[in-house]
Amino acid sequence: MLHTALIITSQREYAQALRHELLRLGDPPARIDVELDALRATQLATQQYELILLDAMLESIDGLQLLLLIKPQAPRCKFVIVSDTTDEATRALAYQNGADLFLERPTTAEAFRSALEALEALFNPPPVTGPTLSADADTVVAIADIVQMFCLSGDSVLLAVRSQYQSGDIFIYRGEVYHAQYPGKSGEAAFRDMLGWNGGLLRTRAIKLTHTPPRTIETPYRLLLETAPGSPEVTAESAPIDGELVVVEAATPSDTATLAVMKEAPPRDDAAPVYFPDPRRRTGGETPLPRVNSHWMVNLSGDLLEGSQVSEPDRCAFITSFIFRKMADVAVALEVDYFNHMTLYGPHLQQVLVADNMGVRHAVFDTAWTTEEMRTEYVKWCCEQSF
Amino acid sequence: MIAAAFVSEEGKLLGWCANSVISADNLCFIAETCRSVLSANRAEQRPADMGVVAFGNRTLVFREGGHGLFMAYLDSPTNDAVLRWLFDQVGPILEAEGVKL
Repeated sequence: MLHTALIITSQREYAQALRHELLRLGDPPARIDVELDALRATQLATQQYELILLDAMLESIDGLQLLLLIKPQAPRCKFVIVSDTTDEATRALAYQNGADLFLERPTTAEAFRSALEALEALFNPPPVTGPTLSADADTVVAIADIVQMFCLSGDSVLLAVRSQYQSGDIFIYRGEVYHAQYPGKSGEAAFRDMLGWNGGLLRTRAIKLTHTPPRTIETPYRLLLETAPGSPEVTAESAPIDGELVVVEAATPSDTATLAVMKEAPPRDDAAPVYFPDPRRRTGGETPLPRVNSHWMVNLSGDLLEGSQVSEPDRCAFITSFIFRKMADVAVALEVDYFNHMTLYGPHLQQVLVADNMGVRHAVFDTAWTTEEMRTEYVKWCCEQSF
Repeated sequence: MIAAAFVSEEGKLLGWCANSVISADNLCFIAETCRSVLSANRAEQRPADMGVVAFGNRTLVFREGGHGLFMAYLDSPTNDAVLRWLFDQVGPILEAEGVKL
């Protein structure tokens, strides 16, 4: 049952119509606030709301960026992105940024009705009709087994996963793992992390998926489960018995204390290398890396994988990821594939970004001494490196 | 050239030409997206006023000036000489309309 909601939009008429419809959802009527100024919305205490409906494009700010900003302040709130366009890039970005639902802006009475049904389902998820799972139970299970079970049955569900300290979502669509996310991470990396939480024994709740989730994971689920670090090997013995969920002991329970020690790098007594990993160990091509101020590489989840002379790694990873996502939107608008490379010309600095389907490399050059040949050489160098 | 457009600072499409595949709305959206990339770079202390993006053999060129953002979508790769030539052609046309890139 809905009690409090906030609509953040630049469109007054739509806000009024939606507010009117949302008031019907609550009993007693819910409190529905409207904020037409996105910047002012950032000042609100968003944690007081159960539901926030946010336009993908606002007048003064990108709604998807605003989502990133306010989501951590209201972890219990459901976020719904409302967009005038339904392109896959925007949808994927919305889910990647933590949206619980992506909706096309309703403009007709029928569209409003469908939107309200989707919102109701968000608060009162229908039970899963899977072959063996009772969805209402928040049961401790071996997460790898549950994923395998839904994948085998070809089902489409959202698995809400909870450990003692963290929670996240795994989206399974038509028998494949499409997407995973938890605060701070998404994609395959998030999925692997979640399989390792609490030795793989987690509380889960399955919610029937009513929409196609974004696809950030391309690896087949079998491979994901086989290669997941710290996850138990999926065996026939660990399958559910007689339609009941059972707690399965991990075959090789991971010792989190040991892992914590192993993850920590040993102390260094020499100077840190300029590159990581060591370029001498690369098996790339013959093109030498041209002289650059700094360069780095991120994967498609926005994680910094390697770099050189990177002063603020988080900011570097963010800006690369931001540009890549923006250019992905442009590619969709132009109906072409993602960009191959991009050059930004500035008075003092030039930047070159080179993308493939695994990640993006980004280099910064000094405009004063950079030539076209150097930029071309960098693109060639990138192409010779294996992402 | 597949398309070209000039979008004011307020996001208004002041002039454009394109084949039937690309709509004016799309051009506006692309221009706004390119502008957000330049803006983000300014915030990162790496200001840039021009971008060239290669989508296979096609190239999107955008350049921001005091009056707005010019954008051209070309059906060919480019290099610095092509860019110089392009802006040698475009510059006087825009200047005749009171726009300096």
